[in-house]
Amino acid sequence: MTNDCGGIVVEGVARSFGSVQAVRDIDFEAPPGEVTALIGPNGSGKTTLLLMMASLLAPDLGSIRVAGFDPVVQPREVRSSVGWMPDTLGAWESLTAREVLTTIGALYGMSRPDRTRRAGELLAAVKLDAFGDQPARVLSRGQQQRLSLARALIHDPQVLLLDEPASGLDPGSRVDLRSLLRSLAAEGRTVVVSSHVLSELDEIADRAVFVSRGQSVKSQTLDEAGGQTRRYYIQAEPMTALAAALQSHGVRFEARRDSRREEFLVQLGTTAEASWLLRTLVMADVVVTAFAPAGGALEETYMSLDTDRR
Amino acid sequence: MSTVTEPSTPDRARSAPSLPFTTAVRTVFALEMKQRLRGRGWYWMLGIWFVVVGFIFVLGLGVIGATDNEGGILFDLIVGFVLFFGLLVSPGLSANAVNGDRAGGTLAILQVTLLTPGQLIAGKWLASWAGSLAFLVLSTPFIFWALALGGVTGQEAVVSLLMLAVELGIVCAIGVGVSALANRPLFSIVSTYMLVALLALGTVIVFGLSALLVMEERTITSSYYTYPESSLDSMGAPEPGAELECVTQTSQSEVPNTQYITWILAANPFVVVADAVPYNVEDLPEPETAGPYGPTGGPYYTPGVMETISQGVRAAQAGPDTDQTCEEAAQAFRPLPQETPVWPLGLGIQLLLAAALLLGARRKLTMPARRLARGTRIA
Repeated sequence: MTNDCGGIVVEGVARSFGSVQAVRDIDFEAPPGEVTALIGPNGSGKTTLLLMMASLLAPDLGSIRVAGFDPVVQPREVRSSVGWMPDTLGAWESLTAREVLTTIGALYGMSRPDRTRRAGELLAAVKLDAFGDQPARVLSRGQQQRLSLARALIHDPQVLLLDEPASGLDPGSRVDLRSLLRSLAAEGRTVVVSSHVLSELDEIADRAVFVSRGQSVKSQTLDEAGGQTRRYYIQAEPMTALAAALQSHGVRFEARRDSRREEFLVQLGTTAEASWLLRTLVMADVVVTAFAPAGGALEETYMSLDTDRR
Repeated sequence: MSTVTEPSTPDRARSAPSLPFTTAVRTVFALEMKQRLRGRGWYWMLGIWFVVVGFIFVLGLGVIGATDNEGGILFDLIVGFVLFFGLLVSPGLSANAVNGDRAGGTLAILQVTLLTPGQLIAGKWLASWAGSLAFLVLSTPFIFWALALGGVTGQEAVVSLLMLAVELGIVCAIGVGVSALANRPLFSIVSTYMLVALLALGTVIVFGLSALLVMEERTITSSYYTYPESSLDSMGAPEPGAELECVTQTSQSEVPNTQYITWILAANPFVVVADAVPYNVEDLPEPETAGPYGPTGGPYYTPGVMETISQGVRAAQAGPDTDQTCEEAAQAFRPLPQETPVWPLGLGIQLLLAAALLLGARRKLTMPARRLARGTRIA
């Protein structure tokens, strides 16, 4: 799956800052041609791990291979093949968006015509062409976020490390981001996306690595995540009829309390089980008005890990 | 500066993509200059600078009036003033170069490119130096005005300005170095001012205090012209036609042997500039010795501020004059020739300081980082 020519392999990495153990023991694998999600609560070590993969931080323990190179020993090789988008928005405010891209392009050793052309392409790709010659300070947060993404792509890297790329983006831009990341992965690139907005990752990611308190706790593909036990919420008119029908078929349910609407939550093992239940309810003349998974597949995993939310 | 170039590791340079030094430095330089030129602060500083230098110059022009060294005094005034204010401005332009970027979140973005720490530091240093030199360039109208008044040789002028530029470069290097080593911009600017103050004031204070340590009881021979006792009338006034005679006294007193401690002054930026300038001491109007009607001392030659510093250093190097003759006493200004220049020593000390800071900065900026300061984030 991953070999010396591409992808990311992280084994047993640890990193502490003084007395704070930011990363204790993370194993992580991101094969080329796929989007790998790095999921975890705030402060679980996602950013630290990305910094280590981007060759900005040396691990205390463990080994890292990015595109076949060790970031500690071969930072140049890693840097030329990695595009890194940080979670903080750093911008040279007086530079125009185009200048930001060409400057970084120059620092990756691109020739002038190359970087000018590439900057134009990327500005169009992230829909900033109208703002290309505006100083970066007039850009909104979401626009800066997109500029930051374009900047990470300027040298056409084989590996993309994106730290919270969707935060601050409007729904339209999120859709654009999704299709951009999918197309990058389809070209055979390795894409790593860190986020805690799980609903989004469901649609982008092929696989996910869950980290919590500096440890990798689970790694699964989206197909695996989709095949696991999930919760569905059901609404009907009236709810009493639904309750009766569920009880008569021996399906355990609970009323959902964290929602404005009145709805029941049921645990279902497979999608086949879900379709059976829906058909059964409809056949029993229950007026079902809503029947859907309560959360995304990844959210389900995230909640089931339940390690860090107290 | 060869100290900030990245040494090429042979086994890595073979396959590794690398960025040519000039391309990298030019890009960083352009990045810095664009930001400076598009901001307003720098223009305000330049404007205020021009007005202040102009004011000082015109004031000097009016006050000094007609001495025989008007051009020299005014030229020295401008050089001293530009150096003084350059020492104040340069830390401001350089000492947030790196940690300002860190605070703005742009440093890490540069660090993940192929840019090496040495190239980054070199670009930042050159940009802040260029920013400081603009202040020198803006003073040129007054410099030329002073030169037009005469009295300053071309060699003096060229060396003065060259050394001024070098000193600004050193202060900028110190500032850039400190800005990479310190985490907060405010702290690094204050630290840089402290280091500059250590050089400009600290050296003088240490020199003054050290003078007490090199005190020695010496026999001092001093001489002066006076009228002989016999030629004075009852009122104490000399009789007409009385001849002056040279009286020599010897006394025991404590004098500082400054020749042992003058090197302390060497690292002072004013001393480095003043000592490097080849002031023309031979071509001065020959001071008259005492004539039959008493010491005329004229024609008077008044040195400018930088030449005074230069002479002060030479006097300190020579140590106490234990045997003063009447001829010496009669001269108003007796320029000392340069024996051993101290400026190479001073410049060497300053370069060592700057180089040490820049090397430390380069270490600190080398990624991947093993150690981070408390409370700092990379990105």
